[in-house]
Amino acid sequence: MNSALIELRGVSKSYRKGGETIDAIADIDLEVQETGMVAVVGPSGSGKSTLLHMLGAMDRPTRGEINVAGQVVNRLSQGELTRFRRQTVGFVFQTFNLIPNLTALENVALPMEFNGVSKAARLKRAKSLLERFQLGPRLKHRPRELSGGEMQRVAIARAVANEPRLVLADEPTGNLDSRSGQIIYEVLREISRERTVIVVTHAEDLARLADRVIHIRDGRLLDAPPMPGLPLDRNELHFVQQRAI
Amino acid sequence: MGMIFLGLRNLLRNKSRLALIVVLIGAPFFLLLAMQSIGEAVDQQTAEMNRSVNTVLQLRARGSMGHVNMSNQDRLLPDSVVEKVRAIDHVIQVEPYLLAMSPTTLPNFAMHVGLAPAAVKRLESHGESGNPRIIAGREFTPEDAGQDVAIIGQGYAEWAGIKPEDIGKATFTADPTRTHPVIYGINRPKRTLRIIGMYASGYVFGDLQMFIPIDTFRSIYGIEHGFSWVFVQADSVDNVAAIAQRLQETVGDVADILAPKSAAVFTATTSRTVIQLAGAGGVAALVLMIVVVFFVLLMQVRERAREIGTLKAIGASNGGVTIQFLTEAIAFTVLGGLLGVVVFQLLGEAITARLFSLGIGSFLPSQYKPLFDSLSVSSHVSGSVLVLVVAVAVFAAVIGSSYGVWQAIKLSPLEAMKDE
Ligand SMILES: Nc1ncnc2c1ncn2[C@@H]1O[C@H](COP(=O)(O)OP(=O)(O)OP(=O)(O)O)[C@@H](O)[C@H]1O
Ligand SMILES: [Mg+2]
Repeated sequence: MNSALIELRGVSKSYRKGGETIDAIADIDLEVQETGMVAVVGPSGSGKSTLLHMLGAMDRPTRGEINVAGQVVNRLSQGELTRFRRQTVGFVFQTFNLIPNLTALENVALPMEFNGVSKAARLKRAKSLLERFQLGPRLKHRPRELSGGEMQRVAIARAVANEPRLVLADEPTGNLDSRSGQIIYEVLREISRERTVIVVTHAEDLARLADRVIHIRDGRLLDAPPMPGLPLDRNELHFVQQRAI
Repeated sequence: MGMIFLGLRNLLRNKSRLALIVVLIGAPFFLLLAMQSIGEAVDQQTAEMNRSVNTVLQLRARGSMGHVNMSNQDRLLPDSVVEKVRAIDHVIQVEPYLLAMSPTTLPNFAMHVGLAPAAVKRLESHGESGNPRIIAGREFTPEDAGQDVAIIGQGYAEWAGIKPEDIGKATFTADPTRTHPVIYGINRPKRTLRIIGMYASGYVFGDLQMFIPIDTFRSIYGIEHGFSWVFVQADSVDNVAAIAQRLQETVGDVADILAPKSAAVFTATTSRTVIQLAGAGGVAALVLMIVVVFFVLLMQVRERAREIGTLKAIGASNGGVTIQFLTEAIAFTVLGGLLGVVVFQLLGEAITARLFSLGIGSFLPSQYKPLFDSLSVSSHVSGSVLVLVVAVAVFAAVIGSSYGVWQAIKLSPLEAMKDE
């Protein structure tokens, strides 16, 4: 059995609005194993993005401890956080977030540049990653010259450029049609063979592809058996349908 | 290295905007260069004036013009004044003069000036400009002392019917008995002087004068003692005030002391004012640049908030983000600076002169206007000015961008991405 890559103990994230306190995440305990794909599902506002951001050191918890790949994320200094984002995690955004004036190749090479990889080595790896995701003919294209699905594949290549042990994707197919979304699922599935991929999604079929589904509601995890192929509960299905309209 | 490169590439994202920014930065740079060159020109002008006129003081008998035959103005300085003045520190030259008026065609008159042959021929005039320049014949030599020779102004010569080609052979007869409403006759014989040179001064009254060796002058007018005027040359402008003070103490009881007021005032007030105005213009230009950089950076940080967040999320450090924006800011201020330099080289002289007369000339007392009309502003850009331009560009970029950069780095990646 694999050791846990991620361990959350009593993690909460609260926002204070006026006199009121909103618990976006409320006292979560969670373990996630090394490698495999985990889907995080739940209604809008349930805290999915908040959870993901804390795992990726993009946000700090109000309480509790977050341990990722042996590092206590909530206690890292500014410099250590930068190194953590550079080496341990890769982020995939719903809106792709490619750097608009860089080519696909340069976008993928950028995190490796931050990580001190030599120019020749990073260009070679960026090229091979893009080829692996069927983007060989698009190396010199700028983001605005790519389709949404192509942009997201570039973003995934960028996310895995430094070989992180964890990839976090927040609704990566939210801005894509179902055909492009399908390809993205397959790519994420493929990269999850070598690392842990956590995907926030409203899409039932992506959740079904996952090795594990985490249900979240009002900032709390629902008790659900961590089994692959579990159907979404009815309320969520209802929500997904509403959102799709 | 990588972030510098990214910063430079960011310059080209929006080329028309880049052009606008470079023009907005270039304009204050042009202003800065113009102000710098005006300050320099005034400095030079002042130094020039300090060399020529600023260091000469004049003594006259108290309450008298000191003209030997002018009614009520004929009191002279006693001989002892010269020795007393020579003893004062920082006095490098003392030149005693004698002056007599001589009627020409009424109501005009000319001036006969007695001086040592080696003395600077200072004209009796109402301004210090227009020192005489020999246009025919020769200058005095030491051998001319006591001889019946003279150097005549071209206006006086014309009145007397002397032509430039006659110089050396021509003569002029001085007649001390002639009178005029303000000139009384001195009962002495006429004296015929050989005209050895002719000068031009550039103004009418300056040309109606005649220089005579002082001993000759004394024997013509029968003046055995005393001087009309004594010119006192200081070794530097800085000592003029002290010398004036010493003169007041030693000969103030018999002499009026005319310190070079106009020049001193010019140095003390006007040129300082101009240099201050130019300096203020320079500071305004710098502030303008910083304001432009400030708003450009603020706009860019706002516009690229999501990108900054993304860069941080994929592992860019705050230092890296800072370098990226700073590189971009320095690059466009330096480009602006170079544009300013190029435009200044092409149009500097014409525009600066106009800028000067509109922006600074109007603040000056009117009597200085002619001095400044002659001000020559150079559009030459030296190596040190280029260094200054780059230094100012970097300074403006760093100061102007600091707030924007701080906005960019203070946010966590998440906050940056949400900040739209
Ligand atoms: N910066 C913030 N300040 C205050 N409240 C916040 C902030 N960010 C998130 N929240 C609140 O925290 C809760 C969880 O938000 P979160 O973005 O994690 O939801 P989500 O599950 O990702 O929703 P969606 O599916 O719509 O993306 C929501 O109620 C939201 O309003
Ligand atoms: Mg969300």
